[in-house]
Amino acid sequence: MPRPKILVVDDDPDLVRALRLRLRANNYEVTTASDGYTAIAQAQKERPALIILDLGLPVGDGFVVLDRLQTSDTLSGVPVIVLSARDPQTNEERALKAGAAAFFQKPADNEELMNVIRVSLGPDATALPAHTAAWPS
Amino acid sequence: MDRQTTNVLLIEDNPGDADLVRLRLVEGTSPVSVNCVSRLSDGLASLTRETPSVVLLDLNLPDSRGAETFRRVMEHAPNVPVVVLSGQDDEVLAMKALHQGVQDYLVKGDISSKHLERAIRYAVERQGLARALEIAQKQQIDFKNQFLSHVSHELRTPLTCIHQYVSLMLDGLAGPLAPEQTDHLKTIFKSVNQLHAMIRDLLEATRAESGKMRIEPRCVALGELVQQAVAMLRPTADEKKIGLEIGIDQRLPLVHADPDRVLEVLINLIDNAIKFTPAEGSVMVQASMVDADPGFVYLSVSDTGRGIGPEAKALIFERLYQDPDSVDNNRSGLGLGLFICREIVRLHEGRIWVSSELGQGSTFTFTLPVYSLAKLLAPVVSYDGRLRPAFVLVKIELSPLSNPPRGNWKETWQQCAEIVRHCVYLDKDLVLPPMGASGTTETLFVLASTDLQRAGIMSTRIREQLERVENLKTKCGVSITTRPVEFRHENPPGTLEQQVQSVADCVTTMILASRERKQLSVIKGD
Repeated sequence: MPRPKILVVDDDPDLVRALRLRLRANNYEVTTASDGYTAIAQAQKERPALIILDLGLPVGDGFVVLDRLQTSDTLSGVPVIVLSARDPQTNEERALKAGAAAFFQKPADNEELMNVIRVSLGPDATALPAHTAAWPS
Repeated sequence: MDRQTTNVLLIEDNPGDADLVRLRLVEGTSPVSVNCVSRLSDGLASLTRETPSVVLLDLNLPDSRGAETFRRVMEHAPNVPVVVLSGQDDEVLAMKALHQGVQDYLVKGDISSKHLERAIRYAVERQGLARALEIAQKQQIDFKNQFLSHVSHELRTPLTCIHQYVSLMLDGLAGPLAPEQTDHLKTIFKSVNQLHAMIRDLLEATRAESGKMRIEPRCVALGELVQQAVAMLRPTADEKKIGLEIGIDQRLPLVHADPDRVLEVLINLIDNAIKFTPAEGSVMVQASMVDADPGFVYLSVSDTGRGIGPEAKALIFERLYQDPDSVDNNRSGLGLGLFICREIVRLHEGRIWVSSELGQGSTFTFTLPVYSLAKLLAPVVSYDGRLRPAFVLVKIELSPLSNPPRGNWKETWQQCAEIVRHCVYLDKDLVLPPMGASGTTETLFVLASTDLQRAGIMSTRIREQLERVENLKTKCGVSITTRPVEFRHENPPGTLEQQVQSVADCVTTMILASRERKQLSVIKGD
């Protein structure tokens, strides 16, 4: 059973490193991008099961990325969790309308974030317990 | 000298006085155009059409007298300078006008053209300066708010980094820790959280000050919110060995409020109460009705702390206020908590205050408007001046299949609410505002003016329509129940208004009872 792949998009390399460590510890594979343009390219290439997306990004901000993902045939179904320092009062509704599955303001509670990731990936993508993993698909 | 034409609006009902002023104006050295009206209403109408350089205003007009006259002019055109024309005997009133923002006054019969010209010129100048000052002040406030909002955003980035790495270490994701290291990291983590709370407060206060704070009022059962707030702070109280008790009036009506915001106020007040109460003390949270003020529910948080002196009481809700006596609390925050509480309560059109004596503990009380079900129900439960014969309360529960919900939960339940609204009769059924806290089960109540059998048909229709929504099954479970509204029939029946009220009371009781059952089942389910 392959581990679900998560694309982390953020221009702060230190934060990306910390998220990568935590996600790996939670049994996810991690790929990263630090700007809007690379994010789209990386998403097309890597086909992640979920994307964690910052809003303030160089070369196409988070909303541009959201828009591009939504209009893509192959990527529109990938759940996107926005993780941004921006004010939720002015950005949350907008991000959700643009197709995000959830909005977290930085700094986010890790337990909650992991919960939402698990739920957004849905039952098919979560790592199955050992006894069911052996069943024919 | 400025040769631009001065446009004067002269509001004067005495033709002799008006002519005299006009004459003095024309005699002057600078070009003047005069528009003369004799009634205040005509003056205000003219001010709506065009903006004169100055208004010359007689205070006693056929349609307005005294202070009322200049107040209305200034309210109507706050940026136009006003010079009052007063009689010999009402200089007191003229002085009063000056204090309230009128630029100058001239005593009629004592007006020379030079005098008049100078008064007008100075009035225009002063008004311009006042206006420039006002604009500069506003710009300064805007700049400050923008700056604070920017700063609180920028502070989050490094804070997030610290937060992430400390929690990585605390969660053991960066190798094992010695007990002492864990201890130190926990201290850092606590400080990080404090800093986070301060940044949040800073942004909230800035928002409140610039009028950008928003609330989303809904129909709320306060008992639940009080329980929730107390449950959240129970550990803190236990740690300090402080008793935390709840007293809720049995017959508490629903309120019209933003549940998240009210929770914020409650948490803030309870947290403060715990902070300022010594060990073995107690904190009491109450929700009650006051006979003299039936439009509001009163929520209060009382403690057995050292109380607040009269000076502190007057300032405690102000921004950045810190109690100078709280030396024992070296990190008491920014002093924005109560200011934010006051602003939240104010947006709900409620009131907040504190009663306290030094050494006697304090009680913080705030009020929230009662949700007037009767007013909402009146148009649908009556027909032709009489109460309809039967009512059923339909309860539609939308429960997210996962915690947290998948996708955009708010959009999901709002879509469902819209569908339900399309399934009822507009003239005799009413979909009440959704009830719930963010991210959990949403409950929609429909009051249907019908019998149980027909209500059954309605709920089948609602279910069918909801099932048509794409993907709804993967997001939430739907449960629909119907119950007859068995309101008390008075004999004799009383006025229609009283009958509507008794239906509303019965519906409120049913809603509250069903919410309580849910809470009980949640507690038992644990």
